[in-house]
Amino acid sequence: MRQAGTYSGILNGGMSGRTGPHLLPLARIKKIMKRSGEDVKMISGEAPIIFSKACELFIEELTQRSWKVTLQGKRRTLHKEDVASAVIATDVFDFLVNVVSKSGANSEDTPVVMER
Amino acid sequence: MADGPASPPGGSHESGGDQSPRHNVREQDRYLPIANISRIMKKALPANGKIAKDAKDTVQECVSEFISFITSEASDKCQKEKRKTINGDDLLWAMATLGFEDYIEPLKVYLQRYRELEGDTRGSARGGDGSARRDAIGSQPGPNAQFAHQGSFTQAMNYMNSQAQGQHLIVSPVQSSE
Repeated sequence: MRQAGTYSGILNGGMSGRTGPHLLPLARIKKIMKRSGEDVKMISGEAPIIFSKACELFIEELTQRSWKVTLQGKRRTLHKEDVASAVIATDVFDFLVNVVSKSGANSEDTPVVMER
Repeated sequence: MADGPASPPGGSHESGGDQSPRHNVREQDRYLPIANISRIMKKALPANGKIAKDAKDTVQECVSEFISFITSEASDKCQKEKRKTINGDDLLWAMATLGFEDYIEPLKVYLQRYRELEGDTRGSARGGDGSARRDAIGSQPGPNAQFAHQGSFTQAMNYMNSQAQGQHLIVSPVQSSE
């Protein structure tokens, strides 16, 4: 007999091998979606699933672009400043400029290094 | 020095110590788990690449921002069209609109594979066409009942049908909590 719990288990990534677990927790994604605005009330079941993959793609892209900055600086450790530079250099990441400059401002002394 | 605006009262918080409306919102409600993010980041780097914690924290914040950014755009669209439920198509549309069109194809593939596997796992008739799907839906009344509004159910179904695929993907448990 199937029960709702079975389904939510699946959707929380507790699924067995066949689908493979989602790399990111769907419930958390949904919470973040709901925080996006007061008008966000109903979210289709597919939406967090799509985001679980979309966030993966996003993280990969952001990381790879940041890593290029790291390499240009002849380093082997990716730092926050590399992420900031990658964000600034990439048009579609414009919406992140405040995020990276804010966390840049919290740090000790390193300003965003744009030309690296 | 740029340390003006972001000085949280009572000592700095580890990451994202901003003074924005943080009305006792727990960290775990704002961000995806750092371990998952770290794993995905590592996958994107060569084996000898290292990642500083501050970079992980930053990416963690960026991901939440990404979700909000896309969701807001999708939500606006829903409002304009007087729909209550943000569905998968709205998100894909928002991503394409906001410059992430490269993600659309992989996402469609992912969704399609997900549906196929879900279809298998639920042990219903496979290999059939539309009629098999309808049967499968009809045979599982339980989850359907959890849709808060008939409208959203219909929308979800329309969405699935429009993909001409989706073996009865029934994902209602996340549909209408709260």
